[in-house]
Amino acid sequence: MNVEITDLTRRFGRNQAVAGVSLRAGPGVFGLLGPNGAGKTSLLRMMATVIQPSSGELRLLGRDPGAYGQRKQIRRRLGYLPQNLGYYPAFTVVEFVEYFALLKEMPPAQVPGAVAAAVEKVGLGDRARAKLRTLSGGMLRRVGIAQAIVNEPELLLLDEPTAGLDPEQRVAFRSLMRDLGQRATVVVSTHLVEDVGAACAQVALMNQGKIVFHGTPQELTARADGTAAAGDAPLERGYSAVLAQARS
Amino acid sequence: MSEHPAGVPRRAAAPADVDLERVWTAVAAVVWRREPGWLERLAGRLLRSPGLARALLTTPSLLIPWLIATAVVLGAGSIATVSTGEPLVALVAPVVAAAGIAYAYGPGIDPAWELSCSMAVSERMVLLVRALAVFGLNAVLGLAASAASGAVAAAAFGWLVPMTAVCALALAAATLARSANVGVAAGLGGWVIAVLSGQAADGRISAAFTEPALVLPYLAFTACCCAIVLAATRVRRGTP
Amino acid sequence: MDDQELVACVAAGDDTALRELLLRHGPWLAARLRPALSAADVEDVLQETFLAVWKGAGGYRPDGPAGAWIWGIARRQAALFLRRRGPAAADLPAVLERPHADDPAEAALSRAQMTAAVAVLGPEGSPDRRVWQLMYVEDRPVAEVARLMGIPEGTVKSRAHRARRLLRAALTGRPAAEGGSR
Repeated sequence: MNVEITDLTRRFGRNQAVAGVSLRAGPGVFGLLGPNGAGKTSLLRMMATVIQPSSGELRLLGRDPGAYGQRKQIRRRLGYLPQNLGYYPAFTVVEFVEYFALLKEMPPAQVPGAVAAAVEKVGLGDRARAKLRTLSGGMLRRVGIAQAIVNEPELLLLDEPTAGLDPEQRVAFRSLMRDLGQRATVVVSTHLVEDVGAACAQVALMNQGKIVFHGTPQELTARADGTAAAGDAPLERGYSAVLAQARS
Repeated sequence: MSEHPAGVPRRAAAPADVDLERVWTAVAAVVWRREPGWLERLAGRLLRSPGLARALLTTPSLLIPWLIATAVVLGAGSIATVSTGEPLVALVAPVVAAAGIAYAYGPGIDPAWELSCSMAVSERMVLLVRALAVFGLNAVLGLAASAASGAVAAAAFGWLVPMTAVCALALAAATLARSANVGVAAGLGGWVIAVLSGQAADGRISAAFTEPALVLPYLAFTACCCAIVLAATRVRRGTP
Repeated sequence: MDDQELVACVAAGDDTALRELLLRHGPWLAARLRPALSAADVEDVLQETFLAVWKGAGGYRPDGPAGAWIWGIARRQAALFLRRRGPAAADLPAVLERPHADDPAEAALSRAQMTAAVAVLGPEGSPDRRVWQLMYVEDRPVAEVARLMGIPEGTVKSRAHRARRLLRAALTGRPAAEGGSR
């Protein structure tokens, strides 16, 4: 089990962003769905050790992120792509990926090979030495994915990774996720229901800080049976059905 | 399979067990490699962390253009001090340093701040190393300018303590407001207030940095600002 | 962009041109090396080859096809690679041996390459092919070849010269000096 979460909560002022989430995840691709404000980003940020939980238990890669030394060990084996990454305009693609590889304390001898592999995997091999300010939004997103995977993480957290990618790039991305999911736990938080259906073995649906569904994409689709839920695709209908039920 | 005009097959397909992608990745690793300079390698050995060394040497206010600008401003202050007799280096140095600190660290200048907070090289270490380097460099340049202007002893380095306080203020403001410019403004504003109130109380413009009674208050203020920064970088506040 | 322009770009420091060269030439280079080396060794040799291309692109003179130049580098890298392995592996497969500078037609070559090259001379029984067979394979003197074929000795010599030229072109990849190939 790479992720073990028990009754996790997170409060910002008076807002209860995460209101008691429990889940366990091993290797494989795990989808996190939900409307805006459901708490997906906060949950992901806690798993990325960027913020600490208000209460509850969190164990990542068998370690406790509350302890300094263990948090460092988790972070060396972690890959994180925030929703709004930001970039250093004067850096090239390779310099950017290398910078974060070094900050993840990868052994310097391994860094050039890992950077080259990561840049090629996201399809930016022909722009490796281009400055980031010359790249489009979709390319910048792929640079973000490259830095997340450069250290071959055991836990990969992606917040809206396909924003700005065209359909062909999304297909390539899903296949990359499936490859990575063979050894690592990949958590993908997304609005795009079809991304989840194509790549994820497990799906959780969050609403107002709680998990209201946890199962396979097929089971989510099946939740629409017998209801008049809205949606163009079966998975979307399952999604709407679960949300409607949770809100009633 | 088309033939080259001289009869040599040129479009033969690769054997199935040869992985050309692996070949390219290995070639690219060498071709794309960035060789760290001697300074970065030295810093990496001293800090025992190549990542921390790279973070230090990419500090915006430690880049060559910034350093040149700092030297020029302090140099001008030195020349002006010599010609007008006013302790201009002492007045200018704290603000220049504060600007350097505001542009050294934090959400104000790091577009990838959220990602940086998830790194194994902790943000606290980056803060410490960058702040010390910027402060140290500015102190050295300021002292050189002071010495060159032949200022009286107290005015030559008495401004080091207020400089610490002004820098801490700038850093705290920049971190809280997530904006380097706010930090610079706070540092500048705070120093102007200190100098003017010193002048109002004592009649001399140099009161703010020559009055020994102010040393402790300055240091206490510095400690407060540092505590604010530590607290602000510990608790992540608010969802985007 | 043709190969010579790509090499010029590589000399100017363009890494995307190097990548394009590997995409274009990697497959057939690998196919040529594979009979002599294991797959992993082919990958290592190609890696060294293209790094050598990267460093040495400035030295390429466009008097021959870029592919032949790269093949020359690959062959040298393969030889170096095998020599580094140790004396046991120093028995360089014939296909990779550097041909004698004067007369490549007399170098030792693998049968397949030789057969393909000899086919350039024409079908079995054609005049150039027969001259080749008699003079170089069976090692008969010019006078005897002239008698057997019923042609003057001068004709034998000029046909032999043409056969050598065609074979040199076929084996090293440079275009034949004058005239066509067939």
